[in-house]
Amino acid sequence: MTIRLRDLAACFEGVIPSIIATAAPDGTPNISYLSHVGLVDDERVALSNQFFSKTAANVRANRNAAVLIVDPRDGRQYRLDVTFEQTLDSGELFEEMAIQLRATSTQVGMGEVMRLRGVDIYRVRAVHVVPSPSPTQEVVSREAGHQLMAAAVVARRVAEATDVGSIVDAVLDGLCDTFRSSNAMLLLRDTTGDRLVTVGSYGYDRSGIGSEVLVGEGIIGTAALDRRPVRVSDMSRVRRFSSAVQASSDEESRTRSIALPGMLDAMSQVALPMVAHGTLRGVLFLESSERLAFTKEDEAAFAVVAMQVAAALALAEAEAGEGQSSAPTTADKPMTTGRQFRVVHYAYDDSIFIDNEYLIKGVPGRLLMHLLRIHQWEGRTEFTNREIRLSEELRLPDIKDNLETRLLLLRRRLEEKATPVQLLRVGRGRIRLDLTGSAILEEVA
Amino acid sequence: MLINQDLAAFMASPVMIILGTRDGSLAPEIARAVGAVVHREECCVDLIVSEWQWTKTVSNIRANGQLAVTFARPSDYVSYQVKGCAVVVPTAVEHVALAGRYMESMASTLSELGLERGVVAPWLVGRDLVTLRLSAQEIFVQTPGAKAGQLIERQP
Repeated sequence: MTIRLRDLAACFEGVIPSIIATAAPDGTPNISYLSHVGLVDDERVALSNQFFSKTAANVRANRNAAVLIVDPRDGRQYRLDVTFEQTLDSGELFEEMAIQLRATSTQVGMGEVMRLRGVDIYRVRAVHVVPSPSPTQEVVSREAGHQLMAAAVVARRVAEATDVGSIVDAVLDGLCDTFRSSNAMLLLRDTTGDRLVTVGSYGYDRSGIGSEVLVGEGIIGTAALDRRPVRVSDMSRVRRFSSAVQASSDEESRTRSIALPGMLDAMSQVALPMVAHGTLRGVLFLESSERLAFTKEDEAAFAVVAMQVAAALALAEAEAGEGQSSAPTTADKPMTTGRQFRVVHYAYDDSIFIDNEYLIKGVPGRLLMHLLRIHQWEGRTEFTNREIRLSEELRLPDIKDNLETRLLLLRRRLEEKATPVQLLRVGRGRIRLDLTGSAILEEVA
Repeated sequence: MLINQDLAAFMASPVMIILGTRDGSLAPEIARAVGAVVHREECCVDLIVSEWQWTKTVSNIRANGQLAVTFARPSDYVSYQVKGCAVVVPTAVEHVALAGRYMESMASTLSELGLERGVVAPWLVGRDLVTLRLSAQEIFVQTPGAKAGQLIERQP
């Protein structure tokens, strides 16, 4: 039976190192490990070329080489008879491989060492199975077209959602239901542009809403910087970048930052850029404790979903509406009953502490303080997006694109911390403060 | 030329051993060895190989003797490549015993790195063992990085 390269897709996931043998014109062989072998099509493979200079010199003189690839699921080995065709130092294939290499090697402090010089394209003349006394494991391949069907289901759920919060929930729940992924999160780009903020997550002990990742940092940051998907199929080859800081309220209050949620035993990760209208909006991220949890086809399906979510979010922001001025609500006096709670606002970073526990900082922090202050002056609990935008006190930066996102972040963080003040979305462009106690506001410079 | 003591110890430790040979038409071939015995004074290394699994490699050595072998430590990728001429010599009982110990310690080293025994079994095969005695002529650093490919020893 002829083996097609596409049947060996698992061998190209970079889990088990591949090997290349070449021979110089004088007959001297050379044998070397390869960091990445990529599948180009049924007739060609791409080898990353960082430093194997003897191999590079040999194949320019004698184009025939042998490559050994290994299936990480059962250890089975395949020998490819290959012929060197050309070296690429730019183009789609080169970029894809360079990013993959950078994302994984920066995490082990080898970023510079592993810099990709070129991608060598080889034509595969024959595929041989290396004899093995161990029985082959029947590897069940997933039903073809599964990804497309699943992506359609998620796309429909996203399309039905009408506001930022429900779009975020629709994509995370949808992906975890249809792709059997256990954990996912969605991060949106902050308008300052250099960081991503978690606005939703699925499957983690804590939601991590409000946690941040710098653009360019780790797998998520790399996907954002390069606007390309990044996928790792075996994290045990990649030391975990983030130290496993135990996230506690004490830690949050001390550092005024929220730790990114994460699986300690993650083996597979994939990060997809969310781009709409030529602008990076955020990153969709999935992880699993299983090796090889996400295939290249899964990645493609996620990438399509991520783009649709980006467009849906942009539309939700634009169409959030300004809201009609609300008729005076019944509560026209500030809440004075219930338990008192202290809200401290630090002006220098707009961080908010409620009863000494860190809540949030930046624009969402300033927003909350503003709403609470108006509530104290006027007794009012309902607000419109329009008045928030026009408020001089708020001195909002150019946030017309993502006021809804800031409000979502604030709302979810209040929910998670179960504070006596909650924020509700009561209609298009309208929100309401829900208080179960009376707030004592305090300003610190 | 001598194989220095550290290098000899490295070659005999649980490191992955991969072999490169070629046939009469310069078509390269790949194989794995399941153990190495270093004779420092003679500057040669015995490599134990399953002829059942790597038939072409053993026939290449019988035909022309040219051999390259890379020793690589799986935990940190520290690697050395030795090149020279090899012959097939009778496999002593000690070689068979050594191969058994090597396969056991390699499987346990790889399992510490998260690779199950079932996965590594096809790489550690002890059927029809032969010994390739390699006279080392050149030794290179092969660890990924700036020094990769640097010659450290050459037979005068």
